[in-house]
Amino acid sequence: MSALLWALVAVPLVAGAWLALAGHHVDRYVPALGVAAAGATLALAVAAAALRPRASAPLFAGIRAGLDVDGLSAVMVVTVAAVTVAVLVFSAGEFGGGENRGRFFGLMLIFAGAMLVTVTATTLPVLLMAWEVMGAMSWALIGYWWRRRERVRAADIAFLTTRTADLGLYLAAGAALAGGVGTLSLNALPAAASPWLHVVTAGVVLAALGKSAQLPFSFWLSRAMQGPSPVSALLHSATMVAAGAYLLLRLEPLLAATGWAEPFVAWAGAVTALVLGLVAVAQTDLKQLLAASTAAQVGFMVLAAGSGAVVGGTMQLMAHAATKAGLFLAAGAWLTALGTKQLPALRGAARTYPVTGAAFTTGALTLAGLPPLSLWATKDEILAAAVERGLWLYGVGLAAAAVSALYSVKALWYVWRPPPANAGDGYDTERQGTRRVTRMMTSPLVALAFAAATLGVFALPGLSAWLRAAVGGAGEPSPHGWELGLSAVVALAAAAFAWWGRSRHVVMPVEHRRWAVRWLGLDHGAHALVARPVMALARLLAAFDDRVLDGAVRGAGRMGMTVARLSARFDDNGIDASVGAVAAGARRLGRWARRPQTGLLHQYYVQAAIGFGVLLLLLLLVR
Amino acid sequence: MTLHLVLLLAAGLFAIGLFGALTQQSIVMIMMGIELMIGGVIVGAAAFWRFLAPAAASGQVIVVAAVVAMAVEMAMGFAVTTAIFRTRQIDMTDMAKDLEG
Amino acid sequence: MALVVVASFWVLGVLALVSGGLVFRFTSMARATIALLTSLICVGGEVVLLGLPYLGVVTILMMVMEMAIMAVFMIAYMMNPAGLTPMSMLHNKGGSLAVSGTVFVALAAGIFLVPWPRRAGSPPPDTTFQVGESLMGAQMLTMIVLGFALLATIVGAIVLSTRRGRYDRFGDDLDRRPPRDPAGGGVGR
Repeated sequence: MSALLWALVAVPLVAGAWLALAGHHVDRYVPALGVAAAGATLALAVAAAALRPRASAPLFAGIRAGLDVDGLSAVMVVTVAAVTVAVLVFSAGEFGGGENRGRFFGLMLIFAGAMLVTVTATTLPVLLMAWEVMGAMSWALIGYWWRRRERVRAADIAFLTTRTADLGLYLAAGAALAGGVGTLSLNALPAAASPWLHVVTAGVVLAALGKSAQLPFSFWLSRAMQGPSPVSALLHSATMVAAGAYLLLRLEPLLAATGWAEPFVAWAGAVTALVLGLVAVAQTDLKQLLAASTAAQVGFMVLAAGSGAVVGGTMQLMAHAATKAGLFLAAGAWLTALGTKQLPALRGAARTYPVTGAAFTTGALTLAGLPPLSLWATKDEILAAAVERGLWLYGVGLAAAAVSALYSVKALWYVWRPPPANAGDGYDTERQGTRRVTRMMTSPLVALAFAAATLGVFALPGLSAWLRAAVGGAGEPSPHGWELGLSAVVALAAAAFAWWGRSRHVVMPVEHRRWAVRWLGLDHGAHALVARPVMALARLLAAFDDRVLDGAVRGAGRMGMTVARLSARFDDNGIDASVGAVAAGARRLGRWARRPQTGLLHQYYVQAAIGFGVLLLLLLLVR
Repeated sequence: MTLHLVLLLAAGLFAIGLFGALTQQSIVMIMMGIELMIGGVIVGAAAFWRFLAPAAASGQVIVVAAVVAMAVEMAMGFAVTTAIFRTRQIDMTDMAKDLEG
Repeated sequence: MALVVVASFWVLGVLALVSGGLVFRFTSMARATIALLTSLICVGGEVVLLGLPYLGVVTILMMVMEMAIMAVFMIAYMMNPAGLTPMSMLHNKGGSLAVSGTVFVALAAGIFLVPWPRRAGSPPPDTTFQVGESLMGAQMLTMIVLGFALLATIVGAIVLSTRRGRYDRFGDDLDRRPPRDPAGGGVGR
């Protein structure tokens, strides 16, 4: 049984590593191999979801590397594996032979594999390792076209931002050890001793919000759009961004244990859902719009975790993964075909490429929360839990749902416009378009659109109960009929208003607000509040290091040299000189002693006579 | 003939002999000077015996020892002279400066 | 104190000093030898006058023999045996004069400044018996030492003056047996 689980995480990781390192001579077979590996992973994931294996291996003293597929993990592994298959199939269509496909597919597989480890890990160290691998892979994938500086910079910003938040997990791990959770098992975290419990929670929440691009970390998601579309599709749907939401859902008992964490997380999610929704409305770049909407939709999952709606959050995650992956792939398809992702330039794109357009439309309508599509149902699951936490929270959540209808319809409206006469002028701004959308690209789109539309079935009473039993949220509230109706009405009204407003050129005020277009200026804010002070501090410390520490070290060195020179001088002029003087004196004495040694007998006699005289004098004087 | 006079004679002989030993170059002449010095010693010893302690034989024994020293000096001096002359064909001390150092 | 003794003391003393000085004034070696002999004979005479007839006579006899030998060596070795070439064979005259003069002055000063003790005892009737008994009795050790010194002198003088050394006889490694001698010796050789 455990072999199945090991295989589930090993197949993508090993295959990905091999593909990434294999080099150019396997380049022709890379797409096939990558899709095959992803397909095998999906098969294993389905098997694991059915069989619920668990595995464990020794890692550190008293800490085991545990993997376990429980209900929540089962949903997650299937979601991750399925989205990976779809995205890789699309990539096989999009990436031509000119790209380094081995690197791309390899990194994507490792990315997915790391996500699989993350969602099955039972102990904090393993989760942390996978979490870090995922962060590193996201950096490599966002900066996949590394020859453009701004892309690398975007990758750096994304990596550094998530990485900064990741420190929370390290803090949490350390605090858990301090709080007496020796095994670092996720289930045991709520049992940490009291002051440390809050530190653990704070660390986990920080890491999750950073990874999920919740306020105030959202800006990295905007930068992450610099990467290839398949990367965005995978990163925004089932991995990376979803990982933060997953972590909060997984550790919902921990949030509940503290008391302050749940409302905090709930409000963070709700505010993010609303504000980033408004940001999405203001975007004129399709991928930026989708990115902002991702943050907003993940906000709903975070709201779910904060409201105790684990099942609702899980369903939202699953449905959103299918929806958003499809939307990004559609945007990517158009980007490949038309060479642009600006909404005004994409007018008529859905008419030109009807299959892609249909899939995009399905996804967008789902995203808008229109009944009976999946996100409408899942959102109501969440809002049903939120309403119990407070009417304000519910109000904000409902407003966010309305906003999601606004931006979804905005995107739809543009792509369904009749193409202008000078449509070609807006094309090829990003790159040279191919004007083709291959079947390889459309097939995953259709599959994902179908899933997006239909995943709402899990909200139906029978299936809902099954899922609740599986995930373990039996006590969670189900939405009442009036709630479903209210949210449906709100979504429909918002969508209708958006469509009608667009056609009448009624511009929503938020669209011209700089703060909304600029993602609230979070980027600059982070620069001003974090990056620049940190750099300034670093410069200050560097200066301190150079001037004081290094200066002291160098000064010590110089002083050592000075002392050495002084002692050398003392040695040369003092000791050595005195030794030399002794030697010279001895030599001089020796010369003097040789002077009387003339070899002439009579002079010896004279010396003897004088010596005797001296002796005699001495004798006389002493006596 | 008093102790002082005899001792003055001895001192005079000794000084003359010393002068000779110091001034002469020839080995044989140096030996002559030494003979004179020992002659002075003999006279001095005899005078001390005669005027200070005639009852003790020590003075006489000193004279005997001085005479023996004379004989030894002569014999060894001539042996050394012979050896030097045989190897170097010289008889001057100034020519044998081997000990210069 | 007989007048004869005093007169002969003065005569012998002055003669000893004068002839001693002449030894180093003559250029002829032969004369120098004669002068030295004269001086030393006078010394012997003084010793006799001082009441040591045996030692004085022994001294005189020894000096006569010595001077005879010395004359032989003079003629054998010296460059200017007859003093026919006027050449000074002196060196360091000033220094020597100073040293010897200083020595004489010091000795004279000592002679006159030292408070000599009073004479102890009186001379024995037979001084020869005195010295003989002493040498064969109390001073036997002195006698033995003197004897050894003389023996060592004989051996050393022969070794120094003989032409052939032991390496000539026994070879470079001193292991030639029998030694190579110019004339055979011993029993049956």
